[in-house]
Amino acid sequence: MTVVLTARDLTRHYEVSRGLFKGHARVRALNGVSFELEAGKTLAVVGESGCGKSTLARALTLIEEPTSGSLKIAGQEVAGANKAERKQLRKDVQMVFQSPYASLNPRQKIGDQLAEPLLINTALSASERREKVQAMMKQVGLRPEHYQRYPHMFSGGQRQRIALARAMMLQPKVLVADEPTSALDVSIQAQVLNLFMDLQQEFNTAYVFISHNLAVVRHVADTVLVMYLGRPVEMGPKEAIYTRPLHPYTQALLSATPTIHPDPLKPKIKIVGELPNPLNPPSGCAFHKRCPYATEVCSTDEPSLRLLDNRQVACHHAELFLQA
Amino acid sequence: MSLLEIKNLNVRFGDASAVPVVDGLNLSVDKGQVLAIVGESGSGKSVTMMALMGLIDAPGRVNADALTFDGHNMLTLSARQRRQIVGKDMAMVFQDPMTALNPSYTVGFQIEEVLRLHLNMSKKQARQRAIELLETVEIPAAASRMNAYPHQLSGGMSQRVAIAMAIAGEPKLLIADEPTTALDVTIQAQIMDLLLKLQREQNMGLVLITHDLAVVAETAQRVCVMYAGQAVEVGQVPGLFDRPAHPYSEALLAAIPEHSLGAARLSTLPGIVPGRFDRPQGCLLSPRCPYVQDTCRQQRPALEPKAYSQVRCFFPLNQEVA
Repeated sequence: MTVVLTARDLTRHYEVSRGLFKGHARVRALNGVSFELEAGKTLAVVGESGCGKSTLARALTLIEEPTSGSLKIAGQEVAGANKAERKQLRKDVQMVFQSPYASLNPRQKIGDQLAEPLLINTALSASERREKVQAMMKQVGLRPEHYQRYPHMFSGGQRQRIALARAMMLQPKVLVADEPTSALDVSIQAQVLNLFMDLQQEFNTAYVFISHNLAVVRHVADTVLVMYLGRPVEMGPKEAIYTRPLHPYTQALLSATPTIHPDPLKPKIKIVGELPNPLNPPSGCAFHKRCPYATEVCSTDEPSLRLLDNRQVACHHAELFLQA
Repeated sequence: MSLLEIKNLNVRFGDASAVPVVDGLNLSVDKGQVLAIVGESGSGKSVTMMALMGLIDAPGRVNADALTFDGHNMLTLSARQRRQIVGKDMAMVFQDPMTALNPSYTVGFQIEEVLRLHLNMSKKQARQRAIELLETVEIPAAASRMNAYPHQLSGGMSQRVAIAMAIAGEPKLLIADEPTTALDVTIQAQIMDLLLKLQREQNMGLVLITHDLAVVAETAQRVCVMYAGQAVEVGQVPGLFDRPAHPYSEALLAAIPEHSLGAARLSTLPGIVPGRFDRPQGCLLSPRCPYVQDTCRQQRPALEPKAYSQVRCFFPLNQEVA
């Protein structure tokens, strides 16, 4: 298997103004994320809003430059790449956004929107572009007459199909999908998820799938990365994470996810409070203020990721959950 | 007598020949009961509740055989009388807490407003009570939050404030329209816990409108599944989840990723909900239903009691009596 995406210690900090006479504050939106992604596989990124999921997506798609760390797309280092190389790299990473209502241009026909990536990045003639667009439209389940229509004439599910088709036009090596189904109804969500899986099989694309819906993630992911306040807290194969989560935050997330057949005997793990202010993160482990297992060491020492039971986990007390 | 009784509710936008958005809906909610209404966007869930509160404006038209709440006939009330009930005895929590609150006023003022208008409290009393309400919805440092504007609060906090406003008049019926859709899972769990706790403590009736079946399974006692403006199945939780009788209920359940663990594809219903111009002649689900037969294409079934639930289907599923 070929590795198409490698991130090493990817970090993105923002300087935030606090007022005229105070210095700048620093928000560590993304703090030391590392992973490898193979062609045809899916990495799911999970966490609450404000955990750095979308910052990661922006860094991966070269919308923003990481503050430090290295990012390799198809073996090519992104930092230090010149303009021409970047343009080439951008073809290899495409993105699908959360809201299909906001991500399509309301004043441009669907056919033209789908052809635009080809117009910019290839030397194909107009008729060749049209042919390619029609082929892709068929692939995502749109009819040929939709070519001439505008986005407002489509339902949410169809719009997400269009957004997905647009992202796949250049047959990217990596597709970053930021909450692609959270704006859709369950039955439409199932259709769109199936389409994602079909296209992945067809083109052997690697997916970075960002979501806060753990039920959806369980369906699509190969590897799961759980983030909290900009840091990875647990990363490993889907089965390991779902059958025996070792980080208390992962456990809480899984427990908070409602299920169709609730088990009345299994108590819900309740986590109190909300995500801490990223301008002023707690000392030690960022999660310790909400963690039911926190001890003194958690408030002083920041746990680093370590290998345990087939996955990486950043918790001082992870061994505690191994026996359970 | 039920707290809320809806009989044969029809809502149309346009003249009498327009396609009904809500079509012959019957519902009842008792004190202390949690009823969930489930369905896709456009199935008429929210419009039903708006009709109940008199929020449908022209060209919308509301018709019903009965629309009674707590002994009042909501159809014949004057606007002034209705205003005395809505917001006090019947209150609503909306989907998006960021738009439900007025950005120009402090949250304290917005809660006090409810208390002063509906309960005729003095300014001082209202302030005192508003702080108590913020404490009830578990907002830390309630007194200092009174002067906060909505933009200073997170989504979960804003939703708590919206709930505080809704319960300020000690309502008998609380309508929650997708109260957690805009929130993260951990916050969603907190808000659902809070809503249910308040519902039990105050013995309110709670109508929970949602498209998340898992939330329904964990909270409601009864569920009404809606499709294209009609109730297609009404039954008890968890019975309906174990033995869905209507093909649409079955399809909704099957579309949840949780049900296809390990499978490569999720099961789906092909197609989309029929719009107002392409209604089929027979059963509204017939073009999409995997079990469709000739009868289904010609006649519309009625909602009838079957083995475990009320079902609108000629050929209901899972009818074996154990």
